[in-house]
Amino acid sequence: MTQTPVKMTTENPTPDTMTLAEFEQRLPEFFATGTGSISDDPRLQAFLEANPDSAALVRDLEYIAAAASDLLKKEDIEPSDSVWQNIQNELKSALPDGPEPEPVA
Amino acid sequence: MPEITNLEPAASATPAAIAVTLPEAPPAKPNSGLFKRNPPIAGEAEAIERAKNGDAEAFSKLYGLHKRRVYTLCLRMLGNVSEAEDMTQEAFLHLFRKLGSFRGESAFSTWLHRLTVNLVLMHLRKKGLNLVSLEETINPSEEDAPKRDFGSRDPQLAGSVDRVALERAVASLPPGYRMVFVLHDVEGFEHNEIATMLDCSTGNSKSQLHKARLKLRELLRQTDQRSQTDQSTQPAQMKEAVQ
Repeated sequence: MTQTPVKMTTENPTPDTMTLAEFEQRLPEFFATGTGSISDDPRLQAFLEANPDSAALVRDLEYIAAAASDLLKKEDIEPSDSVWQNIQNELKSALPDGPEPEPVA
Repeated sequence: MPEITNLEPAASATPAAIAVTLPEAPPAKPNSGLFKRNPPIAGEAEAIERAKNGDAEAFSKLYGLHKRRVYTLCLRMLGNVSEAEDMTQEAFLHLFRKLGSFRGESAFSTWLHRLTVNLVLMHLRKKGLNLVSLEETINPSEEDAPKRDFGSRDPQLAGSVDRVALERAVASLPPGYRMVFVLHDVEGFEHNEIATMLDCSTGNSKSQLHKARLKLRELLRQTDQRSQTDQSTQPAQMKEAVQ
């Protein structure tokens, strides 16, 4: 798909002419598009170099997003045994008589 | 507000093109989330077929295989142990009733995951949490909203935050922020998918995610500062104790 360059207006300034407030306003969109890494986005390098506080904010937000995606690999929290007991009780009426199954660890 | 009546997950959504506001944007990195992390689990397919025929042993195996994932998802979305356990129970009971409709068109864990997300969202709606208009209805109070400390030069977070601190901070987010953050950053859903699930605009989803990250930054900094203060006061306290 060919991307149509966006007409630059005062509402949509180029990365080189953005103010801090404009950068902050557009940050959600920057995160949602592009490479996914604003720190490495060549279009924003000059702006971030000139604004170290913005660069620090971006790095923090990227760090939070990366740490969050790592949480996906840590799904080791177990529900209490009562959850399975309750499920068993509910299913008893639906299942034919038989030995009660134990949850497989 | 539309009522959710069909909790069965639809086939995975095709990500819609996201409007690009900058020219010559580099290609987006593939989302590292949900749909790329479901390798087949040994014995799962057989257990599904047996459980469809009412085999209780097979259903218990499915519970054992997926209880952590379902519970963790519920806990992260709800931020509350008791509610998360109730929803885990509901999810597996619903699974038992609907297992016959699983056709294997997507990974079972993906299907179960979607089913769980839909159940949690329906639960929240029943509780009166209107997710239709995130911005208006569950936008946090001034107190909960992220502070505008854009220019501050505090030490960076990188490397200083552990998993427990992050989990705690996520749990303490306002519900609207937490929902979008968990679905996007943890579970790997795209904004267009979240917008469909929450019945809001993609712009709203992006905005909520950004505010959630800003709020987390603030919360994690506070945690970081507290732990640094604790560390610096410990030697003095120990000295006092010895004296």
